[in-house]
Amino acid sequence: MAETTKLVIAIIIALIVGIGIGYAAGMGAVQTVTTTTTVTVTTPVTTPSPSPVGPPVTLTVVGPWSGGEMEAFMEVLKAFEEQTGIKIEYRIYRAEDLASVAPPQFEAGMAPGDVLITPWGWWIAEMGKKGHLIDLTGLVDENEYVSGIFDPVKAEGKVYGLPFTAWAKPGFWYRKSFFEQHGLKPPETWDEFVSLLSELKGILGGPPIVTGDGVGWPVGDAAEHFIIAFGGPELQLKLINGEVKFTDPEVKSIFEEKLVPLLKEGYFSEPIEWTRAVELWWKGDYALYFMGTWITGMVEDPDDLGIFPIPGTKGVVMGTDYICIPKYTKHLEEAKMLAKFLATEGQRIHVGTKAGKFATWLKVGIEDHWAPMQGVYKFVKEMQPVPDLDDAVGGKWQTLFWDQMKLLWVEPDRLDEILTTLDENFPSE
Amino acid sequence: MGAMRLEKLSFLLPALLLIFIMVIYPILATILLSFNIDIVVGAKVSDKPPSLENYFKAFSSKELLNWKGVETGTFPMGALIHNALWVAIHLPITTMLGLLLAVLLQNVKGASIIRSLIFLGMVVPMIVGGLLIAFSFDKDIGIVNFLLNTLGLKMFVKTWTTYPDTALFALILGSVWLWTGFSVVTYSAGLASIPKEIIEAALIDGAKFRTILFKIIIPLLKPVTVAVVAMTIIWDLKIFDIVYVATRGGPGGASMVLSILMWDYFARVTDYTMSATIATILTFIILPIAIIWVKLVMRGR
Repeated sequence: MAETTKLVIAIIIALIVGIGIGYAAGMGAVQTVTTTTTVTVTTPVTTPSPSPVGPPVTLTVVGPWSGGEMEAFMEVLKAFEEQTGIKIEYRIYRAEDLASVAPPQFEAGMAPGDVLITPWGWWIAEMGKKGHLIDLTGLVDENEYVSGIFDPVKAEGKVYGLPFTAWAKPGFWYRKSFFEQHGLKPPETWDEFVSLLSELKGILGGPPIVTGDGVGWPVGDAAEHFIIAFGGPELQLKLINGEVKFTDPEVKSIFEEKLVPLLKEGYFSEPIEWTRAVELWWKGDYALYFMGTWITGMVEDPDDLGIFPIPGTKGVVMGTDYICIPKYTKHLEEAKMLAKFLATEGQRIHVGTKAGKFATWLKVGIEDHWAPMQGVYKFVKEMQPVPDLDDAVGGKWQTLFWDQMKLLWVEPDRLDEILTTLDENFPSE
Repeated sequence: MGAMRLEKLSFLLPALLLIFIMVIYPILATILLSFNIDIVVGAKVSDKPPSLENYFKAFSSKELLNWKGVETGTFPMGALIHNALWVAIHLPITTMLGLLLAVLLQNVKGASIIRSLIFLGMVVPMIVGGLLIAFSFDKDIGIVNFLLNTLGLKMFVKTWTTYPDTALFALILGSVWLWTGFSVVTYSAGLASIPKEIIEAALIDGAKFRTILFKIIIPLLKPVTVAVVAMTIIWDLKIFDIVYVATRGGPGGASMVLSILMWDYFARVTDYTMSATIATILTFIILPIAIIWVKLVMRGR
């Protein structure tokens, strides 16, 4: 009995000590958070200057690019290193990985990098609202940028992200040489588009459009193009704002009458990992590929690239990568220098590379862009830019949208169920 | 005598302390968090009043349990059913395959090399395993579809992981390949411990292979089977990495499992109380299996 009592006492003591340590750890984390209060930049930081004498600073930059896209971005970072003497370490985190990895680290008062870059403005606004990011209001002049570009990264009147270069998802890419070889030309009406698909299917003996996959975003992009083509840019905006439901007759008819028949006819391939899809399309296994403008930097001969939207399309999805700074950075001033550089002169360098991007800083001219992108720029400029649907809504719904679109691609008969699921899970706020 | 016991206890205390801090406390905190009770002062993980709200939300969510899918036999059926299917299919296949291969390889020359090759699946990091599964079931470059094509089964040739009716099965079959190494090696170790005299005596008495297998080997391997079954069920219920890499629970949630759901709430939505709720549900499903296993092992000892 005495032994049992002792054991029970020991356990209770251990439990109390354990909980005490847990409390202390919790308090410690909180203290870290409260001592590093949000910094509001009221005066714009001027041109980057060499860092003051002291131990060399190395900034960790987290971005979504790998391969050729990364090489293009490294040119920008190299220019910054040369100008400032600040060393940069670049780490690759896809947007979805960063959104998964960073929040738990933030809660623990840490960050995966000093400067984070992601295309998801909603995520930056959300993290900013939770107090994990530095307020960058005033770091750059918002009037020098494309109108409305700061909106996704604003929360409670503060700017938590700066825009980097932008991309567009304008339509179906094709190889001019392939079309010339088969005597084909881009369609000018919906009927011509459908006839072209039929003809291409005959030529290729299989689906003419390759469907990109990864976590699902390329499938979602293609679906959005149909929404914008037949519902106009305003329908896309209404869907983003939750003013129209997916089961609304107008939206449903676009899927039912335009997209689903093409899926059932076998004009789209099964979802294939999107970079492998580029290779397959380029070597002629497929004729068309719905993808963003960055594809220009991924092909051997960008001069052989042609593009057309669904005939009659008036809007184009445009998006940008945003730069933000976690408030847990140990090199705040250097991080701000880099953020400002990337949002301004860094853009000029980036658009001159094969990144396949446009500048959002209006001081960068069309002549600063890589030659193949200048043509694409002119093409896109004719259309009304609209935000990416799933990027704008964000959260869990974003992956749900991709996942449901992947389901639609392979089982188009389940359209009703898919649209209902999208409505049921659409965020209420 | 009392001083002696206290001395012994003092040796035990550091370990107990660590267990409480690293295991018991996080488990308790997670369970309480699932009821919106936040015991980590200052962290403010939950700002909702204590309630059963998260459990109502979880069990009314189609992601956890989709009755319509269950009734019609179409995917998604919900993470709970998917995990149950995983156990129902994966467990018997890996257990039987492991036993069969271990017995067959017992007297084969170079068996250790073959066993090592089978065990490779266990050595491969599960993230790589997930990628291998995705590639293996790819329509154009996958070995599975190549074999199906070769066997003339063209109607089954497709990228299995992109279709709702096959995604889960592709993952389960891939998991069989990855996990069978464990059961083969465990059964092989068990077989090595069976005295040869028993088998030889049976052979002298004229017993056939089937009789030896069912009357001697399988009964004597019962403790090993208990271990294999328990470990496999636990593996099946907490399966995460290969699903995350190969399908991420899709398409349309057709291969969603509990641990992915928990991760989504944790990392994607940053709803820590819902994540804790799914974690608690998962724990309470696994716990009885673990307890039964421990009891059987103790009884066997």
